[in-house]
Amino acid sequence: MSTQDSEVTIQRSRKAFWELVKVEGKLALREPVGVIFGIGLPVFLLIIFGSIPAFRNTVPGTSLSAFEVYIPILMVTMLIFIGLFGLPIPIVRDREIGWLRRISTTPVSPTKLLTAQVTINLIFAAVAFAILGAGSVLIFGVKVAFEIPGLALSIVLATIAMFSLGLLIAAVAPSQGVAVGMAQGLLYPLLFFAGIYIPIQFLPGYLQTIGNFTPVGAAVQALDSSMQGTFPSVVPLLVMAAYAVFFGFIAIRYFRWE
Amino acid sequence: MADKENSMADENKPSLTMENLNQKIIISVDRLSKRYGSLMAVDDVSFSIAEGEIFGIIGPNGAGKTTTVECISGLRAPESGSTAVYGLSPRQNRDKLRRIVGVQLQESSLPPRIKVQEALDLFASFYPDPLDPNELLESLGISEKRNAQFKKLSGGQKQRLSIALALVGNPKIAILDELTTGLDPEARRETWGLIERIRDRGVTVILVTHYMDEAERLCDRVALINHGKLIALDTPAALATNEGGGVRMQFVPSGSVDDKVLAALPGVTSVERRGSRVIVAGSGDLTTRVLYALLKIGVNASDVQVKSGNLEDAFVKLTKTDDKTIKVEAGKQ
Repeated sequence: MSTQDSEVTIQRSRKAFWELVKVEGKLALREPVGVIFGIGLPVFLLIIFGSIPAFRNTVPGTSLSAFEVYIPILMVTMLIFIGLFGLPIPIVRDREIGWLRRISTTPVSPTKLLTAQVTINLIFAAVAFAILGAGSVLIFGVKVAFEIPGLALSIVLATIAMFSLGLLIAAVAPSQGVAVGMAQGLLYPLLFFAGIYIPIQFLPGYLQTIGNFTPVGAAVQALDSSMQGTFPSVVPLLVMAAYAVFFGFIAIRYFRWE
Repeated sequence: MADKENSMADENKPSLTMENLNQKIIISVDRLSKRYGSLMAVDDVSFSIAEGEIFGIIGPNGAGKTTTVECISGLRAPESGSTAVYGLSPRQNRDKLRRIVGVQLQESSLPPRIKVQEALDLFASFYPDPLDPNELLESLGISEKRNAQFKKLSGGQKQRLSIALALVGNPKIAILDELTTGLDPEARRETWGLIERIRDRGVTVILVTHYMDEAERLCDRVALINHGKLIALDTPAALATNEGGGVRMQFVPSGSVDDKVLAALPGVTSVERRGSRVIVAGSGDLTTRVLYALLKIGVNASDVQVKSGNLEDAFVKLTKTDDKTIKVEAGKQ
């Protein structure tokens, strides 16, 4: 194959990839449960919390208002929904109905379909981060002293950890039913340790300790510090990185194509 | 009797070789075997397919038909033996092979909310030289459904879309697996017409089916697979005639004919009389031989009726005999 040929092939394969992203993205928007919960719910809660006057009072023992305490929690809530539902369910569906197999009869590798799903959900997560961040600052006038590198690192690690969890579900769940069951089983514990019911600072000490060693608790912790202008401490960053590697390893090891 | 059958088989042989058809072999399957656990799904199967053929693979459910075509298309790795498509090995030339082979899979569905046009455009983007998706939709008669979601399509429309996806890459070979299962008779007939049109465009078709009428109507040759083994390979007509209970020919002769003359013809197994009618039973190209023999003795035949066994009769007979043999062999062990 000449260089020109291989260039053409690479171009075509890129085009095929973005076509896949486009089509699977449209499908995600047509079956919008993942999007409604992943983006809609956190945004909805942001608006509610932002509109409650009492949430503007400073929380005793911190320099933050209740609303400010909730911003990282809402970000992580969004990642939980995308990681548990938005990412794995379409992958399991595409495998279950034979779409993944159908794609593998074409010159396009089925890995491309997985990459496309990850890309779509990364786009959704980026949009949600932007809405939650910009919304709280621009609309609700939150004054945060962003620690930009720390915030970027926290967002990247939290996203990778939760996406790895999603891929792990996609890897081991044999059917959509099982995948939804696993996701629902994990949903409430994760929401709890992210602090959506009670922010983690107000939990009893031993629950705080457990929470800090969950990927979601660590993510909230790291995002929280970055928003207060401090580079996050190394423990939550390492916790997230460790989960990302662990989940990712299991996902790759046990992924089933059929 | 046995001698006669052998001589028949020999006479039929030339029609089976590729040189005789003056066609190019483009797919070869050589001693292919595939095992699932303790089950030999495909057991030492060999055949070749010529360019432009509609090649049928028939057999009972679970006989190994799908596994065979999955090995040809590179979806499964064979346990032993090999397959080649235009000289390409499915493992070493994965991408090249996939560009020239279009596959319609059994039990493979599309995402429920994908639109017809989207699916086709998507697949077109996968290939270097695709067909125009719109023309294809037009020719398959589903262009008015281009904006419909997959889940809203009828069974026939889903199958036609599935065929469209197999063809949009402009393949040289189309593998169609259980294409008409679950379709109503009208949709089946439409699909048959479609397959013939595909072939007329120069595409070689491998058709996996368990419908004998379908194979008989469409296929140039069929391979019968039972318990993973190839037990017959011939044209549907030859299988029907040789294995489907043979040919029965009736006629009214214009003059006197000696039964012995007819009975001595190759392939004839019995001659009876019913009133003025002569009934000749046998196998192979019986009609021509009888008519030629009559011509030689200056007798005309009128009211000629020929009935031959069909592929279904052949299928039942061959699979039954094979099953018995397998049982006997198992008993011996």
